[in-house]
Amino acid sequence: MERSVTPAGWQRLRRELFASRTDGLITLVLLGALLALGGGFLRWALFQAEWAVVRVNSTLFAVGRYPLDQQWRLWLLTALLAAATGLTWGLLRGRSWPRNDQLATVLLAGLALAAPLFLQLSLAIQARWWGITALLLGLRWGAGRWGDRLPQGWRRWLPLQWPLLYLLGMVLISGGLGLMAVRPSDWGGLLLTLVQSSFAILLCFPLGVALALGRRSELPLLRWGSVLYIEFIRGAPLITLLFLGQNILGFVLPGGLAPDRVWRAAWVLTFFAAAYVAEAVRSGLAAVPRGQMEAARALGLPVPQALIHVVLPQALRVALPATVGQFITLLQDTTLLSLIGLLDLLGVARTVMANPAFLGKNAEVYLLLAVLFWCCCAALGLGSRALETRLNPNTLSAARA
Amino acid sequence: MTNPSSSASGAVMIEARGVEKWYPNGFQALRGVDLTVRQGEVVVVMGPSGSGKSTFIRTFNALEDFQKGSIVVDGITLSNDVRNIDAVRREVGMVFQQFNLFPHLTVLENLTLAPVLVRKRPKAEVERQARQLLERVGIHEQADKYPGQLSGGQQQRVAIARSLSMEPRILLFDEPTSALDPEMVQEVLAVMQELAREGMTMVVVTHEVRFARQVAHRVVLMADGQVVEEAPPDQFFTNPQHERSKQFLSQIA
Repeated sequence: MERSVTPAGWQRLRRELFASRTDGLITLVLLGALLALGGGFLRWALFQAEWAVVRVNSTLFAVGRYPLDQQWRLWLLTALLAAATGLTWGLLRGRSWPRNDQLATVLLAGLALAAPLFLQLSLAIQARWWGITALLLGLRWGAGRWGDRLPQGWRRWLPLQWPLLYLLGMVLISGGLGLMAVRPSDWGGLLLTLVQSSFAILLCFPLGVALALGRRSELPLLRWGSVLYIEFIRGAPLITLLFLGQNILGFVLPGGLAPDRVWRAAWVLTFFAAAYVAEAVRSGLAAVPRGQMEAARALGLPVPQALIHVVLPQALRVALPATVGQFITLLQDTTLLSLIGLLDLLGVARTVMANPAFLGKNAEVYLLLAVLFWCCCAALGLGSRALETRLNPNTLSAARA
Repeated sequence: MTNPSSSASGAVMIEARGVEKWYPNGFQALRGVDLTVRQGEVVVVMGPSGSGKSTFIRTFNALEDFQKGSIVVDGITLSNDVRNIDAVRREVGMVFQQFNLFPHLTVLENLTLAPVLVRKRPKAEVERQARQLLERVGIHEQADKYPGQLSGGQQQRVAIARSLSMEPRILLFDEPTSALDPEMVQEVLAVMQELAREGMTMVVVTHEVRFARQVAHRVVLMADGQVVEEAPPDQFFTNPQHERSKQFLSQIA
């Protein structure tokens, strides 16, 4: 089988890359340039770069100045997240292991083995990573194998684990319910970046939908209020709004009522992103024909029900790619928090680079940052594509058939 | 088929008097239209495009508002009162030119959505009734497909079944066959004819002369936002009284 494929593959390569003498020349030059660049990068990464800056500061990059004796809470949260991911993944896929799942499994296992070794973590911490990865993959396997034995009612309520887990995570991170409080100013690194962006993403979405509906409302006050808000926010750079939020909220709200600096920034991010999400959702609403609303109303549905059951499901599907694009931008915009003195990933990186012990190690640090952000954004993008496929009625019915 | 004239004695279902409508740009779409529809009657509304016939029947379930005149539907006076509008819409079903099926729901879900949400009826019972309706319009084996997988004629039959799912006392048809390929027109008209035979009160905007001749009790010709002529189909098609009617009939013949 493979023998018959390989010559055809070669022929295709030859046809596409070496069709003529000029084509061949261009291919060779580009190939040479790529090899030189890649080789140079590898030489730097393997022999010249000094990764001690990452090894020594790995905890700082991960959680900032989160108290050492309370970090078990974050480990617990990570384990719970891994368990929920494995469970959901397994229930969605069942017994089948498509190629993408195999790839993801190999990647996860490889990461769990290689990353702790690379970071030269202590054995106790390495063992935790291995345990968490084993938990995720084990649940994926177990839920896939025996998930169909769960009663139907259970399976329907299982997605609720995610909002519950989010609330629990907030308690675990910030304290309360008998746990020692950890002030937001002590959160940092990847932890702060993820808390800020997930909070803003979750809240800006309903807010954006409400604004988009308001902009299309027939009530003038609602319409003009929404337009004014959206255009004002979109007309101002995020960084000015962040500074404004830090300063003005302290004046406007009396004494203790003004939220902590970290939460002020989170709210500004939320309100900022909501204006952009509103525009994405508006384009989705515009794509739904007027007849849909008319048909729903003619059947006797009141406007709110017609919106929830007929118009919004269609509009949000159209708006999904643009909305997720906005979420990805939002995630990257959290780096601006370092400019208002918060220790998000970039903020931590700047303090590390300012440490005389790691002078001149900027390249290593920035590369780490790029990889971390790329991973988060790739996860968002993959999730959105999976959601798009599931929401498309045509692929749905094909899957059911 | 003869047109039973006995229905003229039925209860009045729609009573429109002197209805006038202006669009926000100042254009007057309806210039004092009168129409009475009795229970079990089939009234076909014809007229050139732009004559206001679609606008007129869309006022019956308040998809269009009007500024002057009065409309009483099944004893409910249409006004700006939202409760009245919702009450009327529960009694009046509508079939659109573009079908307007909900593409993200299956055929069965299209039929069950409103009865479950608006009438608050148990889902199992509504589904059973929906399958019966689909059988009645001849597409019960497509219940779990999505509208996009059906032909135009099938989609319009689903749309008719959907409007029937609310058990309306009146059905409005807004050019139900105009968006269909010619070979699919007949299957939709057959369903409508069957409904008329069962005694459904229907107001139909259409250009289908054969349907009007065979099914309608009365034909109404509208032009420039007014009713020009109102007559039984035999008389209307063979011996129109007004110049405007003759002109229209010569154009569609």
